[in-house]
Amino acid sequence: MNESFDELQHLAGEYVLGTLPAAQRRQVAQRMQNEPVLRTAVEEWERRLQPLTSLVKEQEPSAQLWPRIVKDLRRQSTDAQSSWSAWWNDLRFWRGLAASGFAAAAVLVAVMVTRPTTPAPNFMVVLVEPQKGTPGWIVQASANRQLTLTPLLPVSVPGQKSLQFWTKGEGWDKPVSLGLVEPGKTVKLALDKLPPLQVNQLFEITLEPEHGSPTGRPTGPILFIGKAAKMT
Amino acid sequence: MPADSNYFDYDAALHACSLGDQHALQRIYMQDSKRLLGVALRIVRQRHLAEDVVHDAFVSIWNKAASFDATRGEGRGWIYSVVRHQALNTVRDRDREVYADEDAFDNMQQQNEELIVDQFELSASLGQLQDCLSHLDSAKRNSILCAYVDGCSHIEIAQRLNAPLGSVKAWVKRGLATLRKCMG
Repeated sequence: MNESFDELQHLAGEYVLGTLPAAQRRQVAQRMQNEPVLRTAVEEWERRLQPLTSLVKEQEPSAQLWPRIVKDLRRQSTDAQSSWSAWWNDLRFWRGLAASGFAAAAVLVAVMVTRPTTPAPNFMVVLVEPQKGTPGWIVQASANRQLTLTPLLPVSVPGQKSLQFWTKGEGWDKPVSLGLVEPGKTVKLALDKLPPLQVNQLFEITLEPEHGSPTGRPTGPILFIGKAAKMT
Repeated sequence: MPADSNYFDYDAALHACSLGDQHALQRIYMQDSKRLLGVALRIVRQRHLAEDVVHDAFVSIWNKAASFDATRGEGRGWIYSVVRHQALNTVRDRDREVYADEDAFDNMQQQNEELIVDQFELSASLGQLQDCLSHLDSAKRNSILCAYVDGCSHIEIAQRLNAPLGSVKAWVKRGLATLRKCMG
């Protein structure tokens, strides 16, 4: 693909104008994701031509339109919440984990916990990146419900975002926030307000707005996730 | 209503949407749904399709609000482009399936031709774009207006202006190049 700058500008212009056929429209939309020059060209054309929208006569929407929109927002947000249970129930994901970095991390934890000065935790969780399965954090919890979250990897957090730590036991209706965590920092928590830890209890870290989820449930993408395993 | 748009903080409303504030989306809807529906209707030409476009676009604005980047452009422009592209996807996908029935097309052609010219001549609110468009010859100007405002494909422009397809493609291309030079 050897497009000149002018050809790229022309393509961007016809995309914004709307004259490209369906297949080419999709191609441009796709390419914009990875091609900043094309994306900028499209944005400039949007800005140049946008005043033309003021030529159009306003139309009164039907009374049903807004309620219809709201209804579908709700459905979308329930979908987002259920992504938690989607991970939980996805056997392939957990099997894949067992076969990958999970085993290595488990060994690492075993080494850490056999140090005589550390009281042996009753539970441990390896939190991994859902897509790659790379271990990112380790959770250790002791019998007196003291929990330690230890980072294994540096994590970069975009501006005005934060990492939020959550847990959910089987049968709980929603995850409970364990607070915001800082990348690269160990966190110690007392879980005395929560029911006793269970095998398979889910822990996860999501990307949330700067001061944490505004809804009390995870709203952003899951960065790390794992299930508690009992240490014997 | 249009005067208010100077005071309405679209960027803040989009930011609030990204944090899950439905009232913020509703404020955008109250502010702009009439004009957005107008924009969609001109492109898809059927009322129920236009409402579907606005519906889908608002759901999409809600879902994509976090990806809106105020350093790359204004919130209002971003919202309008989501609606326009939703409408354009609808008509371009349909182009491939059926072609508009010709009588309906001819009717629409006459009505819209008047509208485009009238509106363009009456409107002095387009700022720099107005100047730059007025420097184009009418064939290029009408091709661009037909495409942007009425969602015309090259073929539809050719039918509406009663001109060969090859000429229309060249007008659009040269018209865009001239506009870009004129507007920077």
